[in-house]
Amino acid sequence: MATAEARPMSAEEKKVIFASSLGTVFEWYDFYLYGSLAAIIAKQFFSGLDEGSAFIFALLAFAAGFIVRPFGAIFFGRLGDMIGRKYTFLVTILIMGASTFLVGILPNYASWGAAAPIILIALRLLQGLALGGEYGGAATYVAEHAPHGKRGAYTSWIQTTATLGLFLSLMVILGTRTAIGEEAFADWGWRVPFIVSILLLAVSVYIRLSMNESPAFAKMKAEGKTSKAPLSESFGEWKNLKIVILALVGLTAGQAVVWYSGQFYALFFLTQALKVDGPTANIMIAISLIIGTPFFIVFGALSDKIGRKPIILAGCFLAAITYFPVFTALTKAANPDLAAAQAAAKVTVTADPAECSFQFNPTGTKKFTSSCDIAKQKLASASVSYDNIVAPSGQAAVIKVGDTEVTTVVTPEDIAIAKAAAEAKLEALNAADPKDPKAIAAATASAKAFSGEKTAKDATFSGKLSAALKAAGYPAKADMAKFDKVSVVIILTYLVILVTMVYGPIAAMLVEMFPTRIRYTSMSLPYHIGNGWFGGLLPTTAFAIVAQTGNMYNGLWYPIIIAGATVVIGGLFIKETKDVDIYAND
Amino acid sequence: MWKIVVGFALFAALALYILSKGGDIDMGGEKHGEPAPIATEAEKAAPAAAASEAK
Repeated sequence: MATAEARPMSAEEKKVIFASSLGTVFEWYDFYLYGSLAAIIAKQFFSGLDEGSAFIFALLAFAAGFIVRPFGAIFFGRLGDMIGRKYTFLVTILIMGASTFLVGILPNYASWGAAAPIILIALRLLQGLALGGEYGGAATYVAEHAPHGKRGAYTSWIQTTATLGLFLSLMVILGTRTAIGEEAFADWGWRVPFIVSILLLAVSVYIRLSMNESPAFAKMKAEGKTSKAPLSESFGEWKNLKIVILALVGLTAGQAVVWYSGQFYALFFLTQALKVDGPTANIMIAISLIIGTPFFIVFGALSDKIGRKPIILAGCFLAAITYFPVFTALTKAANPDLAAAQAAAKVTVTADPAECSFQFNPTGTKKFTSSCDIAKQKLASASVSYDNIVAPSGQAAVIKVGDTEVTTVVTPEDIAIAKAAAEAKLEALNAADPKDPKAIAAATASAKAFSGEKTAKDATFSGKLSAALKAAGYPAKADMAKFDKVSVVIILTYLVILVTMVYGPIAAMLVEMFPTRIRYTSMSLPYHIGNGWFGGLLPTTAFAIVAQTGNMYNGLWYPIIIAGATVVIGGLFIKETKDVDIYAND
Repeated sequence: MWKIVVGFALFAALALYILSKGGDIDMGGEKHGEPAPIATEAEKAAPAAAASEAK
């Protein structure tokens, strides 16, 4: 067993951290690739599918993230506890890397027909399975090599890979796109980021092959004490199952929502709610991540001194009590005109409650088409705060902006007027000298929207609503002259620092909660359910709450309630683990 | 440790530079089908139509 001692990290320990972190860099690299290239992948593989097939594929893609990953945590966790950490996470990275590479060389729908999306989904399911086993393996492997008293500091390096994976994906995608141009990138260049991942895989496998088994597992195996049935021991015995459940609700659930809110929801809020242009929002987030990332190590190391529990729960507590004022301050700093319009203009939605749904759509397969749902979608998307008024049964929803009434019922006359206006605008832009290609493209899309009955109705209603909101002072975009960059970066950095508080010490804490014989299995499941389910459902749940209640900040109730519950449950039932001897029961 | 700090700073600076030159990109990570309220073509068309209508 490694003991507490004041010495610098050895070369072997550095190699252990590096080898383990490479796998999680890979994990994050993939996570961002699929986000950044989603539209291109959809066009390449799913554009020829009929509605029914597209529905099934959407469900399968959802399953790849939400169901297969926890299943992978159990599957590979069991292997890791039975045959060893080293070989298990060698297998996980091989599967993960090979799946990513194969996506890069997979023929598209135009070449292979339905086989192409089927293979793509199969590769993503396989990748999701391997991903489920990767993090637990890396955390366990590093922690079991770390000296007692330094597990927090050592394992916190793994958490920095979230930022590294993001930056790596940005460099490869944007570098390729800039080098070959947008058109070639959409055609074939999108494959490059997937194909070059083979280099990362080769380095990872080479280094991992040269590593030794974790000393704790090797000793246990030599003594014949490894678990014969890790699943039964982990989840079949209440003594351990209780700790798994507590790790989920008292730690990882709160950690996940704070993490998702601080990075992904903050970005979503900036671009979708505050109407900040994408490139500016990305730069702001990237700067805050650069400033905040070293705090993973700071809080990991600090947790070795003062404990994991106080830091993680303080992060959750601060998030729960400061999210409302912090996101309100973000609005004032990024889009003060929006804040002023929300305060000044009274907006109401008068609708039959029977027509209004809670627009929770985690699989993306539901369609909300009632007049109430459409009205609320439009207002939520425009970041409008509104009050709900009950209408008589059967009445179509009506939006009132100040004194202007916008009904969801669109007549053929309304469409004809809007269509004529769109065509006139396009004609004027085409006749102008010099021409504005961007404006012409936008006007062409506007005019095209009137070619179908459904899109024409939608465009006409949206146009009327936009005009009413504009008159009430709602900005269509954030005014960059009033955009306070320094304040925005300070606010975003604060949110990232909360992320580092909850995420920096989490690997060490999870590792220390379980004995060596079932550690891999037991810690992987709460991590993936916490992050995949509680964190992954944040965007869709927040949007549904915003649309339901008519206040763009109300989506924050989701992370606040989850983080608050974690503070209470974790505070009452989770024991501090920093002084735990993880070899005591081996 | 200083090597890591310098390496991270250089890596981050390069990423920031490429990001500032490379244009728009979705940094929101992998989605699981959530209905992000991104404007549809019709919605994008609406402000233009409204503006024309207002003239």
